[in-house]
Amino acid sequence: MEDYKFLFKIVLIGNAGVGKTCLVRRFTQGLFPPGQGATIGVDFMIKTVDVDGDKVKLQIWDTAGQERFRSITQSYYRSAHALILVYDVTSRESFDCLPEWLKEIEQYANQQVITVLVGNKIDLTSQREVPPETGLQFAQANNMAFLEASAKEAENVETVFMDLARELTKNARKYLLRNTETVDPNITEITGETTNISYGGCCGSG
Amino acid sequence: MAAATSTGSFTREEIENLTELEDIQTAYDQLCSDEKEVTEQLDSLLDQQPTLEGKMSTLHRMGPNLQLLQQDSEQLASMISFTCQLAENVSSKVRQLDLAKSRVQAAIQRADDILDLKFCTDGVQTALQSGNYEQAAAHIHRYLSLDEKVLKQSIPDAKEGSGIEHSLELLHKAEQELKVIINKEFDEAVANKDATAVDRFFKIFPLIGLRDEGLKKFTAYLCSQIANTSEQNLQIAIGTTSTERRANVVYADTLTHLFEGIARLVETHQPLVETYYGPGRMLTLMTELQKECDRQARRVVDAFIKNRAYQKKAQQVQQCMMGRTGTEKPDPKELDTLLAEVTLINSRAELYLRFFRRRVTADFEVQYQEEDRRKDKLSELDRLVRTCGLSLCVQELTGDYILMEEYFLREMIMKAVSMDIMEDGSLTSSMVDDIFFILKKCIKRAMSSSNVDLVCAMLNHATTILEQDFCEVLYGRLRQGFPSGFLDFTQAVNLMQSTIQQRKITSDSTEDTKTAFLATLNNAEACSENILLLKASLEDECSRHFPQAGEQGKAKLDSCLSDLASLSHRFKNMLQEGLAELDSSAIKPQVKPWVATFHSFSHNISEEEFTNYEANDPFIENFVVNLQSLLDSFKGSLSPTIYDQLISHLTNQVTHQLERAVMKTVFNRLGGLQFDKELRALVGYLTSVTQWTIRDKFARLTQMATILNMERVGEILDYWGPNSGPLTWRLTPAEVRQVLALRVDFRSEDINRLKL
Ligand SMILES: Nc1nc2c(ncn2[C@@H]2O[C@H](COP(=O)(O)OP(=O)(O)OP(=O)(O)O)[C@@H](O)[C@H]2O)c(=O)[nH]1
Ligand SMILES: [Mg+2]
Repeated sequence: MEDYKFLFKIVLIGNAGVGKTCLVRRFTQGLFPPGQGATIGVDFMIKTVDVDGDKVKLQIWDTAGQERFRSITQSYYRSAHALILVYDVTSRESFDCLPEWLKEIEQYANQQVITVLVGNKIDLTSQREVPPETGLQFAQANNMAFLEASAKEAENVETVFMDLARELTKNARKYLLRNTETVDPNITEITGETTNISYGGCCGSG
Repeated sequence: MAAATSTGSFTREEIENLTELEDIQTAYDQLCSDEKEVTEQLDSLLDQQPTLEGKMSTLHRMGPNLQLLQQDSEQLASMISFTCQLAENVSSKVRQLDLAKSRVQAAIQRADDILDLKFCTDGVQTALQSGNYEQAAAHIHRYLSLDEKVLKQSIPDAKEGSGIEHSLELLHKAEQELKVIINKEFDEAVANKDATAVDRFFKIFPLIGLRDEGLKKFTAYLCSQIANTSEQNLQIAIGTTSTERRANVVYADTLTHLFEGIARLVETHQPLVETYYGPGRMLTLMTELQKECDRQARRVVDAFIKNRAYQKKAQQVQQCMMGRTGTEKPDPKELDTLLAEVTLINSRAELYLRFFRRRVTADFEVQYQEEDRRKDKLSELDRLVRTCGLSLCVQELTGDYILMEEYFLREMIMKAVSMDIMEDGSLTSSMVDDIFFILKKCIKRAMSSSNVDLVCAMLNHATTILEQDFCEVLYGRLRQGFPSGFLDFTQAVNLMQSTIQQRKITSDSTEDTKTAFLATLNNAEACSENILLLKASLEDECSRHFPQAGEQGKAKLDSCLSDLASLSHRFKNMLQEGLAELDSSAIKPQVKPWVATFHSFSHNISEEEFTNYEANDPFIENFVVNLQSLLDSFKGSLSPTIYDQLISHLTNQVTHQLERAVMKTVFNRLGGLQFDKELRALVGYLTSVTQWTIRDKFARLTQMATILNMERVGEILDYWGPNSGPLTWRLTPAEVRQVLALRVDFRSEDINRLKL
């Protein structure tokens, strides 16, 4: 039995080459991978973090941005507790694609999913094409948290994931609290110490 | 006076200044004791004199010995430096000898070289003339291994020198000649499709310093072979009529031929390359072959896409899934065949790429000894394999495949739902088996592709379809309710009204709704079990299809599989919700009025009435008959486990209602006895109809009966507190008093006096 309190699935999405894999590597392994190439399909990483004394296991799915993998990556949206939507601040094009990504989220993700918008590669100051305000405005207009980051310089990477872990944990605790009176194992699965919150379906008892 | 007492000794000045006799006396005493002390010290020093003198004389005697020692050591030093010089001399001579020896060896080598040179010069001419190119190449190879410059320098003699000069010139010419010949002969062999000759000249290239060129020409030759065969196979494929055997997988077969052909070429030529070109050539060779493979695979896949209308169907599917009406619905049956072919393509490509990887990796093991270098090379290989044209083709096909397989799965599941029927003798309806059959089929098909990402995507989709679409179907049926649910609203309404309503709903459709509801419970249970079975069987399949999936792949599969398995809980919960609904609509409203009759007959009875009750049971027989017929109406329609759960619900209702009825009834001793008999009959009956133990549910009622059966109030103390023994009281002290108070013959003062 693994020793953790909550398990959350986080899925990274966004155009090819915006730095999703680098962000994940920076967070899970503390490094900036040199020339690792485009992701094929999806990659899968685990990192257990501590949130106010509770062990929280983050299951991080790093999806491929290239178009031909779309039907693979879409299948992961629904069970995601959180989505990290990434664009590249040095690529206006990657920013302009965000509405399409939002459409995907709406179509495939569950209603309760938390989405964070991340503008990556802020270390490349001279090549910036998307100003911070533009990113922030877009995020606010679409009800997302927003952060700018650099996987290369390890800037804000930890913050992105830890803020998310805290938010998810907070929600999960609230959820548990709400459901302890009417024990509803429908959604809360308690196996030993571990709690699996599944947002899954729409199948309430109606 | 002060001075004399405070210190022990005096200075002269102090003594001279003394005036008082007493002080002088003290000073005198002090001086006397000082003197005595000094005398003692002197004596002790004198005592040591003889010892010191003895030691001095010993030292005097050692003087001459020391001189001797110094002389000896000087002699030793000179001897050592002499030996050292000698050794130096000897070793320098050895060095000279060594040098001489190596010069002699070099001289011999050079003499040999010159002899070889002569030999080669003669040999190469004859060999060339007789067409023995292997021999000629061997001579040239020998010649190339000589150091031309050194040879020329070593013979200053003009006459001798010119001979060597001449030989070298001849050999150089022969080398050029041979290079031209070998190139020509090789090209000719290729043109003549003379495989033996190709192999023959291929072996000669490295001997005459044309390693890279040879390998390049050879791979080009292999590539042209691949291209020819593949082109022929593709034409055959395109010409295949749909009635022919394997027509449905003809493009997969064409690709298979391509891969097998390449594998065969590698099998036969790898030893040749390794023997004549050395290790470390496989990556170059395979990379070149892969370029041709990519080209040919692309052609076959393009033909597949075009002739099978692959993309068109994928687009149709996409439109349908977006809910656009008016688009032509793809035929699931057609998709079925198409999808099977795609997985076959997938798995063949996967197999071939694994072969590719294995071959090159094995070569790396020999070539790169250092761990780091090998790792770099391996990741280069990895990238090559993942981004080669063939992989790209497969990735494109996979994208549309998933789309269509998801659609196929959903369509088939919905079809099973729409064709759902209850078969005689079956507790579940037909769709459960159908759906799990389809799930298994689709996921197994996905697995046969050997592509982890594809399988994971399908597992995710299967989970989604079950959880969203199928759960919704079952919940929809449960939401229709169990038809006697109307009683819920009419509990308080009088009997007449309820008979009117009863008539209204007693129709066939009521029976159908009932059956459907119960079948849905069975279905939910079966689904929850089937999902676990499915997971186990898929895990099995995984270990067969992905023995080398690697950590990453295994972790992904595990995660997606356990997501699917977690649905089992969903269906279990659905069953519980359904049972609760059944309880509140069919159990509770029935049981309630039945139990209510309990207090309509007296439990404050005479001996005569008691005997009378024995002959003509007033309550329990009828009650049990009612329960029996209620249960009978479910028994055949529910699975044994659900039936037991239903009895558990029923028992809860019965005990709950009966407790309330008892609390509203008055008893005397015989009435208590009567109640005890009734309770035993009830427990006996319910125990006989279920596998589960229900006695525990009756604990409170049994304890009430015990209390109602007592002779006197105080008897309770024989069972209470420290006297309770193995009995655990489920009644609170207040409840015990309440029950005691039901006895008309117990005085309330006695009850109040009890210390519980
Ligand atoms: N300067 C800079 N370069 C970055 C940063 N993050 C990523 N990169 C570079 O951007 C390129 C793409 O990064 P990846 O992490 O592979 O991008 P991705 O989003 O995973 O791409 P796909 O897997 O194809 O979807 C790489 O060359 C990285 O070195 C960053 O913060 N700063
Ligand atoms: Mg990536």
